[in-house]
Amino acid sequence: MTEIGLRVPLGVGAPLMETVFRQGRHEYVALGLVSTAGDIGRNTMLLRRVFTLDEAAYVRAPGHGGAWRGTAMIPAIEAAMNEGLGLVVFHAHPHDGPPRLSGDDRSSAGRLLQMFAARVPYRPHGSIVLSRTQAAGLITMPGAPMVEMAPRVRWLGASITDWQPGSRGHRILDSAAFARQNLVVRDDGQLTLADARVAVVGLGGGGSHVAQDLAHLGVGELVLVDADRVSSTDQHRLVGLTSLDIWLRRSKTRVIRRAVRRIGMGTRCEMIMERVPGPKAIAALKRADVIVGCVDNLHARADLQDMAWRFLIPYVDMGVNIRTIEIPETDGPRVTIGGNVLTLIPGGFCMWCCGFLSREKLAAELRGPGRNYFENRGGEAQVVSMNGLVASQAATEVLQLLTGFVGTGLTHGSLALDGQPGIQRGFRKLDGVRGTLQDWGASRRPDCSFCNEILGAGSVVWTSPR
Amino acid sequence: MKAEAIEQALRDLVSAYGDGVLTGRDGSRTLVRLSEIELPPGCQPTSTPLLIVFDPDQAKPIPYVRPGQLLANGRAPRSASIQIVGGESWMQFSFNIPWAEEHGITRFIASARQRFAQND
Repeated sequence: MTEIGLRVPLGVGAPLMETVFRQGRHEYVALGLVSTAGDIGRNTMLLRRVFTLDEAAYVRAPGHGGAWRGTAMIPAIEAAMNEGLGLVVFHAHPHDGPPRLSGDDRSSAGRLLQMFAARVPYRPHGSIVLSRTQAAGLITMPGAPMVEMAPRVRWLGASITDWQPGSRGHRILDSAAFARQNLVVRDDGQLTLADARVAVVGLGGGGSHVAQDLAHLGVGELVLVDADRVSSTDQHRLVGLTSLDIWLRRSKTRVIRRAVRRIGMGTRCEMIMERVPGPKAIAALKRADVIVGCVDNLHARADLQDMAWRFLIPYVDMGVNIRTIEIPETDGPRVTIGGNVLTLIPGGFCMWCCGFLSREKLAAELRGPGRNYFENRGGEAQVVSMNGLVASQAATEVLQLLTGFVGTGLTHGSLALDGQPGIQRGFRKLDGVRGTLQDWGASRRPDCSFCNEILGAGSVVWTSPR
Repeated sequence: MKAEAIEQALRDLVSAYGDGVLTGRDGSRTLVRLSEIELPPGCQPTSTPLLIVFDPDQAKPIPYVRPGQLLANGRAPRSASIQIVGGESWMQFSFNIPWAEEHGITRFIASARQRFAQND
């Protein structure tokens, strides 16, 4: 069978499941609009929106699980045509294990998919049946006949929940090495970590910490992205750096790869000696399960935010900001120490929603000249211990996303800040003077034009205008 | 740019470049990709795919070339920067390219191409 994936953003999976698993006189369906990301290791469909049918749209059809009026699909089909997206019909078989497509499923999919492909020929279309743990489907890729597939489904919520076709196998990890950690993440979580690919962008004071934390956790593969070589100004904060590295002006990627290897948990490293958004870096980010941004400017953050939302990849951002107080009070602090750890789950709040990014802030960062102005500017204040505090929280956020050790819910409610149902947790602010890292939370703005345009947009589909 | 102006530009591009024109959408923006345009002698490489972004919020089209494009002197154009467009890396370059609808998109592309004849 051909391999295909489906990614479902936060806030979409729960209503989809609620619809198709509803108990009633018949089976219930939902229609999903999908874009695609064709170059992330396999064909991947990105679910953007779901349409449900009113009860009145269903018709009695003895011998069929569910039947509905064709006219009820018109709003979804029109939206697919207007937005250039594929259509997937979802329904459910409420049991565990691999679902089987019935003869009825096959014959209705044959008719529907042909009709969908005639309207939007350059996107995949499908009919997918969900069990409570796996999926099976009939999919037609552009220009290809309909084939049966068992899609890998990735549900984004408080953590990443993957439904894999078939069993996961029985790999044995070094049980002694992870014994204490297994008490938190369990065997399944440790296997998930071993299978994970995490991109760490920026390998300075923050990223060097994060990468080594992730290696200790047992993450299987790290994508190390940084264009720079080390210098003596890095020595006070880049964890793992030696005087010889500085003398030899080694690349930061190489220094961190060596540090990761020495930890000895079997983590593989891909080194990308390039700045985001260079083409190699972008290609590598697309294949990541989680992106961790440890960058020092807003333009790079905007690029990572774009990639994360476009391809439905959770993104953890960290940064520390130390500023001198020009006229400090007597015996008072001489600096302010701020920082952040943002856990950005596609479908939840983004950096634009919460005001972390704005056009004004980006313009102020440029100050007129090109982007190379701030990418080559002098460094700001950095202290290893303060970086480490924030970096360790960022690594813990990755651990949660991959293993769900503090919850796995798919709803916005499962991510609510304690006592504040409308506020999503995941916007942590450091007060380094007080020594606190407090979650302020943030909300998704329904009118956020970035979310509305980019979330799940996937790769551009190029077609001939002729 | 207004929708009618974008449609006219698209027609002109198809007329000039034929099968070398592909279009895509990215949110509200229309993207047009020319498979290859020749650059002035000495540029490295000597040809590049060209991306033109038509954004309803921008007064004129924005051209991009493949990242890594060098001038005849072996340097990157000054003030060029890599940007993400539609999930791909493209190189934007700074050049005052005049745009008037009545002059048409092909003249605009010719002006953009001239940027690469100037060594910084």
